[in-house]
Amino acid sequence: MRTIPRSRLLLFVRLIVLGLTSIVLGGFLLAWSGLYNVAASRGHWAVIDAILTFGMTNSVKTHALGIEARPLDSKDLVTLGAAHFQSGCALCHGAPGVPVSPIAQSMLPSPPDLSKSMREWRDRELFWIVKNGIKYTGMPAWVAQERDDEVWAVVAFLRRLPTLDAAAYRDMALGGLTVPAQSGREIATTEATSGAVSACARCHGEKQRGPNSRLVPVLHGQPVGFLMAALEDYANARRPSGIMQPLASDLSADDRERVARYYAGLAPPATPEPPSSDEAVERGRMLATRGDPGARIPPCMDCHNTSSLEVYPRLAGQHAAYMANRLRLWKNGLTSRSSTDAIMAPIARSLSEQQIEDVSVYFSSMHAPAPGKQNH
Amino acid sequence: MRHARSFATIVASSVVLGGCGRDVQSMLAPKGIQAEQIAVLAWLLFGFGIFVLAIVIAATWLAIGGSARSRRILAQENTVLTLGIAFPVVTLTLLLGYGVWLTRALLDTDRDQNAVGIEVVGEQWWWRVTYLAPDGTPVASANEIRIPVATPIAFKLKASDVIHSFWVPSLGGKVDMIPGRTTHLRLTAERPGTYRGQCAEYCGGAHALMALEVIAMPASEHAAWLRRAAMPARAPQSDIEQRGQHLFLGAGCGACHTVRGTAAAGKLGPDLTQMGARRSVGIDTMPLTHDNLVRFITDGQHVKPGNLMPEFRFLQPPELDALAAYLLSLKAMDADG
Repeated sequence: MRTIPRSRLLLFVRLIVLGLTSIVLGGFLLAWSGLYNVAASRGHWAVIDAILTFGMTNSVKTHALGIEARPLDSKDLVTLGAAHFQSGCALCHGAPGVPVSPIAQSMLPSPPDLSKSMREWRDRELFWIVKNGIKYTGMPAWVAQERDDEVWAVVAFLRRLPTLDAAAYRDMALGGLTVPAQSGREIATTEATSGAVSACARCHGEKQRGPNSRLVPVLHGQPVGFLMAALEDYANARRPSGIMQPLASDLSADDRERVARYYAGLAPPATPEPPSSDEAVERGRMLATRGDPGARIPPCMDCHNTSSLEVYPRLAGQHAAYMANRLRLWKNGLTSRSSTDAIMAPIARSLSEQQIEDVSVYFSSMHAPAPGKQNH
Repeated sequence: MRHARSFATIVASSVVLGGCGRDVQSMLAPKGIQAEQIAVLAWLLFGFGIFVLAIVIAATWLAIGGSARSRRILAQENTVLTLGIAFPVVTLTLLLGYGVWLTRALLDTDRDQNAVGIEVVGEQWWWRVTYLAPDGTPVASANEIRIPVATPIAFKLKASDVIHSFWVPSLGGKVDMIPGRTTHLRLTAERPGTYRGQCAEYCGGAHALMALEVIAMPASEHAAWLRRAAMPARAPQSDIEQRGQHLFLGAGCGACHTVRGTAAAGKLGPDLTQMGARRSVGIDTMPLTHDNLVRFITDGQHVKPGNLMPEFRFLQPPELDALAAYLLSLKAMDADG
């Protein structure tokens, strides 16, 4: 075996060190000189673009490896995701019947028009992208990192998106809300758009119509104090939600009060859900009225009755799916700086999975009292 | 008011001094029959220990520097048998017998039918106290135990969550409270007074703040007090008290707390029927004042970290004033502090 002489080895090392130093120095000089053009108007060279895309794709795939996918075929999940897509995603990514905004098209990279084509991602990879966003692309991270449940709703919708035409999309995203055609003067002088981007009713319903997804709370007839406190908590990021935080922070304090009064004055929608099991309702009723002293669970009704303080929500007639989801969020450790969440979270953490099911079913089977019958 | 303040000073300083120099919480200053027996036993042990130590020192000194004769005596088989085996066996047996006899009386093993029964349940981190009214109805209270002087009290001790230990050093020995079991303790206070007790078994985060007071009062006063304590809570009188009660019920306080005679019937936390007659807030954490009540309601996790009562931070100052006024009004009309 031939040995390399010591002097040649030294020379080799020196060359490597010198080479690395000049690369670092050269890079610094290039950045310092400002010769590299950061203009979004110029685009990337094809080869750079290919390398960046290659790196991004693999990064997403690797980082999404440990995520366990959930069943996504629930209509409630898809509808909720569609409604958020309309206000949070469609501006940049388009949707059936909604063109990508020309401003978004001028971004670099320009966001993919998801109504036309979507790269082939697995569920868990889509989840990772929606939750974490992508550096240097303008794709933002999910506002409330602790709300995986909301991210999954968007993923569920993205899976459905390729099958939707413009009418089906509009129906789903607007939740049956009909936006009347505006007069020329209205178009010219108001900010309202036919996309109804910030309309609460797309999710929460209006008049006699309840929420279009059972994962969305019924606001009809809730106390004004509770609705205002919830909106204020969302607006100040004290209550985490990637869907509600952006919308609530757009509203002024006066707006929040007015919209709270609107929903507080609405009669409860439709009829209660038929209970899946009478035993579950009975178990839920016992828990709601007597609590479970052994597990240190106080009775729900002591705070959630019609004469409770306005800051507490009324639960009668609430959707079981929404209630169970909210209780599970707390149980799984959601922390919140909202003052009422601080009271409810420890109680929810003491509930067993069975108790969460029972109590949700119980409240969803109750008739909500008409507004005005409450003690204000 | 002056009394309340000087009391606060005593509580505060006894927390700092752990009983030294004050006799509200010291086994060296016994105020009850059982505590006296324990003190006698302790002094006896201490004196006997000194005696044995003196013998050991003397024997060692003789063995090293004594005359040949004394060393010979020390080395004799008889000496070893007497001092090394017979003496310890006899004295230790006597001490053990005395100790067992003493503890037997303390632990209330013979269940004196004349003794006044009081049940105390250790909870994280407070004491659930249940008296029996003369007609046999249980009267729930918390944290403060009022007993008649010179009457044997039979304590039934239980625990609801983890092991606690009930110890009022000025009145007697300590007995563990064990979940799923009932232990017994007999105490008799000889003089009226306030005696401080503490949980003496580490029971979680706020263990150090789990204290209680035993207030010994003349038997006739005690009977009158118990009659008053068994009555429903005093109804709110003024506007502010009524608003306070409305808030108390509306905020769901009744989910965990009982105020007898109202809709509040929760059993998870301390009974508040006589809240205004108590001397402390947050279970002996702070003296009972309007400001301390407000502080405990809104900032309880800083006052007593980990305690199970959530903070009600959404309540506004006027609401808190009303709530505190209501709670302070909860006492039988002629109850003395």
